[in-house]
Amino acid sequence: MFLIFALITLVGALMTFSMRNLVMAGLSLVLCFIGVAGLFLLLANPVAAALQMVVYSGAIVVLVLFVIMLLASHEEEEPKRSRPIQRWGSVAAIIALGPGAVLLVKSSPFLASSQVAPPMEVMTLHRLGGLLFKEHLVAFEIAGLLLLAAMIAAVSLVKREL
Amino acid sequence: MNPVLLHGNLQAYILVALLLFVIGLATVLLRRSLLMQFMGVELMLNAANVALLAFARFRGGEAQATAFYLFIIAVAACEAAVGLAIVVALYRHRKTTDSDRADTLRQ
Repeated sequence: MFLIFALITLVGALMTFSMRNLVMAGLSLVLCFIGVAGLFLLLANPVAAALQMVVYSGAIVVLVLFVIMLLASHEEEEPKRSRPIQRWGSVAAIIALGPGAVLLVKSSPFLASSQVAPPMEVMTLHRLGGLLFKEHLVAFEIAGLLLLAAMIAAVSLVKREL
Repeated sequence: MNPVLLHGNLQAYILVALLLFVIGLATVLLRRSLLMQFMGVELMLNAANVALLAFARFRGGEAQATAFYLFIIAVAACEAAVGLAIVVALYRHRKTTDSDRADTLRQ
């Protein structure tokens, strides 16, 4: 199961990276997020899996797809001029960073030693709600305020004259 | 079948998160469309979430991590709204979503 969901996640991410058409890239992003939600289920965390499905593959990707269709920019524009230094610098950074970090994770003794999973305790909404309203009440309210501020900011940025 | 492939261990989850992060970084650095770069940022955010919840699970299923995950996606939703509004405003102004064409503050 882990292998299947990990493959769905990584294939979706790679398709997002390589698609020419922006709408197809957005749809591959949904595939990737579904894989991530599956990984969260395997981590005994159905609450996070449901949130992932609703917020990421539901709200955020739909927002991105709406903007893509609204702006009628379905394809990437042709480059005005090529920027070889930035391009090859980025490629070199990714090639150095990716395998380097993989080697680092592979050789970490702490990560390898915690192979045996401790006894399972499934995350429930009940536990999460109790925690949110007991320990993180102020942060929870601030998150609500932040969402309101972002909403007002988005409207005032897009509207021509307020 | 190998139990690691069936259930995964901490190392495997961190590896998946890492590869997801590198793919997101490649999307941000190598694609030119601002909308593609935005999707790359979302991929990197998701990689961080996978790592966070994997560590929480292998510490015995701590509930705090899920609370933090909730706050992270609240901030990510704000970032999505404001980021896409900026892209729309830029398109109105310059008729482009290419980040290379919007490299000056002046018209």
